[in-house]
Amino acid sequence: MRHYMNIPPRNLTAFVVFLALCVAGVSGVYAQMPGVPATEFPYTGNRTAVWIVAQLHTLFGAFILGAPIFVVMAEWLGFRKQDPRYDRMAKEVTKITVILFSMTALTGGLFIFVLLATYPQFTTWFINQFYLVFAVIYPLLFILGTIVLYAYFYTWDAWKGERKGRHIALGVLLNLLCMVAMFAINGPTSFMNTPVRAEGISPMEALAAASLWDKIANTSWMPLNLHRIDGNVAFGGFVVGMIAAYMYMGAKNAEERAYYDWMGFVGNLIAVGAMLLQPFTGLLLAYEMCDYDFSFCPYMMADQLSMFFEMQGAIIGVMFLGCNYYVWLSLRRIGGIENVRMTVLAPIVMVLSPVVMVYVFTEYWIPEPMSLAFLVPFVLSPFIFGRFIPVTVSVQTVMKIGFLMVVVSAALWVIPNGFAATGAKMAEDVQLPEAWEVLGKMPTKLGAIFSLVFVTVVNYVLYGRAIKGGTIVWGKIDGIAPFLLIFLSFTSIWAMGLMGAVRSLLRKFFHTYNLIPDFTAESFTPTLSYSAWLITGITVVFFIIVSVAVFLALRSVELKGREPEGIPVPAGTK
Amino acid sequence: MGKAILKVVVGLVVAAGLWFGAMAMEFPPVFQLTFVTFAVIGTLVFLMLDAPQINAPSGWAAFVSVIGFYIVLCFGYGATASLWPQFETGDEQEKIAKILEGKENPLDPWNADEVIKRIKELDEKGQMLSERIKALGGDQPLAATVAVVASAPKAGGSEGSGDVMKIGEEQWQLQECYNCHKIRGEGGKKRGPELDNIGSLLTVEEIKEKIFDPKSFMAEGFEKEWEKGRMPDKFKDVMSDAEGMALATWLSTFKNTAVATPKPIKKK
Repeated sequence: MRHYMNIPPRNLTAFVVFLALCVAGVSGVYAQMPGVPATEFPYTGNRTAVWIVAQLHTLFGAFILGAPIFVVMAEWLGFRKQDPRYDRMAKEVTKITVILFSMTALTGGLFIFVLLATYPQFTTWFINQFYLVFAVIYPLLFILGTIVLYAYFYTWDAWKGERKGRHIALGVLLNLLCMVAMFAINGPTSFMNTPVRAEGISPMEALAAASLWDKIANTSWMPLNLHRIDGNVAFGGFVVGMIAAYMYMGAKNAEERAYYDWMGFVGNLIAVGAMLLQPFTGLLLAYEMCDYDFSFCPYMMADQLSMFFEMQGAIIGVMFLGCNYYVWLSLRRIGGIENVRMTVLAPIVMVLSPVVMVYVFTEYWIPEPMSLAFLVPFVLSPFIFGRFIPVTVSVQTVMKIGFLMVVVSAALWVIPNGFAATGAKMAEDVQLPEAWEVLGKMPTKLGAIFSLVFVTVVNYVLYGRAIKGGTIVWGKIDGIAPFLLIFLSFTSIWAMGLMGAVRSLLRKFFHTYNLIPDFTAESFTPTLSYSAWLITGITVVFFIIVSVAVFLALRSVELKGREPEGIPVPAGTK
Repeated sequence: MGKAILKVVVGLVVAAGLWFGAMAMEFPPVFQLTFVTFAVIGTLVFLMLDAPQINAPSGWAAFVSVIGFYIVLCFGYGATASLWPQFETGDEQEKIAKILEGKENPLDPWNADEVIKRIKELDEKGQMLSERIKALGGDQPLAATVAVVASAPKAGGSEGSGDVMKIGEEQWQLQECYNCHKIRGEGGKKRGPELDNIGSLLTVEEIKEKIFDPKSFMAEGFEKEWEKGRMPDKFKDVMSDAEGMALATWLSTFKNTAVATPKPIKKK
């Protein structure tokens, strides 16, 4: 049976309708009468309405961009290892991705309509600036992505055995299309923060002289692309972990529990791997933006947004604690880990890492190569010189020291220069003493995050050794672990919402920084409290929709009784 | 159980050590409390490491537990964010209103209501200007002052030079110059030079040149910042000529030789 011929017409129809809405929205811009007043959104106000729709669209978009990367990796691993679990997981996640693709299109169309209603003048101008992107490139890529996604999903069972390579190639094509779509839409997004400019002429003159490519390839475009790529992979992995947690708790037998325990492990592993890169790509983005206009820097770190970064520090701290605690719980179900040991250099370097890193970054601020010249040998020393030192310690000892250092590093990251929302008006009784000002400085924050990453890497290396050296009993993980996976997923999405808000708010009272001011009464920086409750609400809505999608896509199959599917067939099978 | 008690005791000792240690090192109480919070979190983490294994809930118990957990997370994040000091939005709203007052909307430059309003304002200012020219006379600095008053927004009321000072100081606040520069001991985090003696080192015109073209002068000791273009090259776009002149005039009055304002070196 040719499975790929069975595409339900209702799904494709829905997509065509949504895309037509999007294109109609763009075309509708030209039907706007000049001077048409903006709609006043009831209850929320215009800015919050746009915020809600934009963030929901970004979250769904992040999932449908991150999940295919995760899926193709899993499919490839399953094919290489001839392990059917990878294939099953990849197919299950794809099922959910198909549903969420519709949600991305729906919220995207809604986003355009809300923007047109609330900020008609600016939206018209903005779409004019990027007409080719909004009306041609992005919809075209979205349509192609949709077709390839459906083809990828519905050829899953047809293209197996020796055709598996073809199926994986289709998945790679899907990823390429998704990636290019993201790069295309990141152009206008990043343009709003760092529009094209030129020395000696006004911003408007610079804009008039700029080509479409100049506008897209602005200062923060590539850093934003990089930050979003690894953010989306981490996001996809954490959501897979959440799906596994739901299904683990709903599993009817030991076999299912073992499978979903394994799925949570893989999702978490890929997510943490990508998450470890997040601080660096985030730093690159912030660095480039500060280089574009240094006033962004104090606005973020010392003024209106400084407490947003305090909250971010707290959130990232608990996320690192969470993913290390997951490793700790995972180790409990591995038999024979008492034989796994590590050089004593590892805990020594862990303990020294915050101090050494803070010192190096104070002396050699990145990107000075001297900082790497000191730090690379330092962090690699346990792995290079460890074999020459006969003293070893147990997995548990290394990890306990690791936990201590995660708490210390997270504390270093969170300690502010002062407990005040604006640095300019800071009273002495909430400020660090002069002798300890170093605690509030950027080299300390950078040293802290490097320490967090280093400790986590060591813990995951140990985890890998324990898996290789011991025996995992799948399905026997501690009952706290599913909640930990849910926690990591929720927290990563929440953090994404918070940092997305920071990036957007950096435009200050401009729609497009330094170019188009926002003359409405809502152009001020909202408080952290207001933003946090709003982000929480948006995250909850996203979770409800994803949970329903999981239930529809996976539980309905469970209730009917699973048919054997997605089992890789060795190459050469007819 | 014994292990748990030991961990709690160690946690308490660490918390007490941090509290009194921070007090001895003159950390304000809010930091002492923060350090103790870290000790509490650390203790909780170490207690969780040895917590007995539990089975995951299933069926309705799982459903209720997951919903309960989400509620805890939602309130946890919302409440934690609300505990941090909150930015006073009113201050910024006021600032933005002042900055944008009278500014042209590039998306709607021919808004008729706005044009009529601006014509009326300019007419009033023109009348005020005529009166002030009569009152002020014609020496050089005051001529500059008159030019500023003539076109600066909200310039009505008091004496001309007083207005310029007011506008200049207001621009200092609105453009948030204090984020990088210290003046009268306030603001700045060593990102830019202290400016208490800038009036002795640069003329009004030179200060204005530096504001509108940050590469025109380099402060001694700030070579790296100058090279990296730390001072934003945007003020000529966000301030009118008159506002820039007012800010420069206000800054030129700072001639406190007791403060070591770094020497500006002409670069362009």
